Amino acid sequence: MKKKEDLLKELKDTVINYDEDGCKAAAQEYADVNYPALEGIMDGLAAGMQVVGELYEKNEYFVPEVLMCADALYAGLAILRPLVPKAGRGPKSQVVIGSIQGDVHDIGKNLVKMMFDVAGWEVYDLGRDVPLEDFVKEQMRTDSEVVAMSAMMTTTMLGMKKVIKMIKEKNPNVMIMLGGAPVTKDVAKLFGADGYAESAGNAVQEGIRMIGRLREFEASKAAS
Amino acid sequence: MAEMSGYERVMRTFGREPVDTMPFFSGMGMVLQPAIKKLGYKFPQVHTSAEKLARSGIESARMFNLDSVVIPYDMCWESEALGNKISLYEDSEDILYPTIPNKNWTELDQVNITDNDIETIMSRGRMQLIPEAIKIVKKEAPEKALGAWQLGPFTQMGQTIELDKVLKAVFKQKAKVEAILDRFTEMIIEIGKSLQAAGADFITLREPGVAADLISPKTFKEIIKPRLTRILDAWKSPKVLHICGSTDSLIEMMHDCGADALSVDIKNNLIESRKKLGDNVLLFGNFDVFALPCKAETTVEQAVAGMKTNIDGGVDAVWPGCDLWPDIKEENFRAMEQTVREYGRKASPALGRTDGGSLKK
Repeated sequence: MKKKEDLLKELKDTVINYDEDGCKAAAQEYADVNYPALEGIMDGLAAGMQVVGELYEKNEYFVPEVLMCADALYAGLAILRPLVPKAGRGPKSQVVIGSIQGDVHDIGKNLVKMMFDVAGWEVYDLGRDVPLEDFVKEQMRTDSEVVAMSAMMTTTMLGMKKVIKMIKEKNPNVMIMLGGAPVTKDVAKLFGADGYAESAGNAVQEGIRMIGRLREFEASKAAS
Repeated sequence: MAEMSGYERVMRTFGREPVDTMPFFSGMGMVLQPAIKKLGYKFPQVHTSAEKLARSGIESARMFNLDSVVIPYDMCWESEALGNKISLYEDSEDILYPTIPNKNWTELDQVNITDNDIETIMSRGRMQLIPEAIKIVKKEAPEKALGAWQLGPFTQMGQTIELDKVLKAVFKQKAKVEAILDRFTEMIIEIGKSLQAAGADFITLREPGVAADLISPKTFKEIIKPRLTRILDAWKSPKVLHICGSTDSLIEMMHDCGADALSVDIKNNLIESRKKLGDNVLLFGNFDVFALPCKAETTVEQAVAGMKTNIDGGVDAVWPGCDLWPDIKEENFRAMEQTVREYGRKASPALGRTDGGSLKK
């Protein structure tokens, strides 16, 4: 029987090396010996994706590699996520996510969605080309804590500002995350967002940072 | 000496002849909401009528003293001509460009672009509107240079198959990707020739899907560059190559592709690019199409300062980094144009001035 540390390294390495089959096999082996699933996800799969984000930042990986790493991660996640014990945890945190109306690009959106999946959130994925008011309706319906929106083109980015205004008017505590090529830190701040990612690869980095923030958020929620 | 017309200024720029002042134009989508309003059009209507396409382009250029008219605006023409349905957002109150919500080809293996598709492409979908609009502009606005454009093969492939599949296939099905890119390359060459034959004064090859924040410079060199070179080689001059996004590591390879001028967006470090290219290459760019002309909080003074920074970066003509966002702040955009004319009276690295402003030796 392999040691837990060895299997965690395998999970991490197969994500980094975009080895979908290898990741699936490592996750199954990890699950078969009943090692803690959450640890496998966070210290194996997510740790691998963190390295992927770093490789992207260093221009060693580009978006095609990041997408293939994400496929490997999802292969492992499909096996480990159902094994995470639900007992002792409060209701799941929730996020509404989608690409804004007029934008049919969803690569960055899907990478951010992946990070919420990793963190165990309930994800309401509205898809792409989503009418502005649908974000508001879905947030109200689900009472989600986070709304994440993506736009790859300047021509659609302005819709985000309207959505943020509509949501914050109804519920100022909702966290807003923006992403996409035209979205800069300035734009995110100007629009009243709480976080941003400017590119698909950068979305992974931002997503990883957000996992830390989300954990703090969940801890404070559990304490209150 | 009398002030040059936009047409003269642009054509002399491409011909490397001295101009009176810096050109302010674009080769990418440039339709502006004040012009559309003045004409009484709705934004979705301008994409489906040659007349409205031409009139809105002319009015946009005249209203803000731009040197060129650009035809067309949206990026869905070819994908629609290959059988995909477009969404025009006719019911939306916002300005939304047409999109292809669902693509007929879901896998690379389904892609089949025949010789007949390429030969007949100009008669499919809305395609015939583009040469019609070009002819109207040429007749009605001879004082403006007319720019047409085509998406590059990789970006066009992403308009017909989901981009994430295309990107992954670069690794997993490289030969297939290259074969499809070759078909798109042939199609783009033929469309470009048709637009030039209709009267386009210059043409821009836009390949935003290949920036170095998306794919590696190695992939660009191996897969993209040979095809961009082939397209540019097949088109007559003047021709511009534009890539959005991170281009610092690509700029020299962009130059090798054979365009008469290069255009980059705000992510490019102009000063560094100019150092790499030298002073003999026409470089256009690169103002932020949201921050300067559109952002409600941007003052006229900030817009003016932004233009000066843009010119100081070493461009030979001020171009937007991408399609202009139609809903501009008029006072900002007018101030930007005036600043380019006044601050741009001095010679730029590759272009002299008629009043004696000489090139940097």
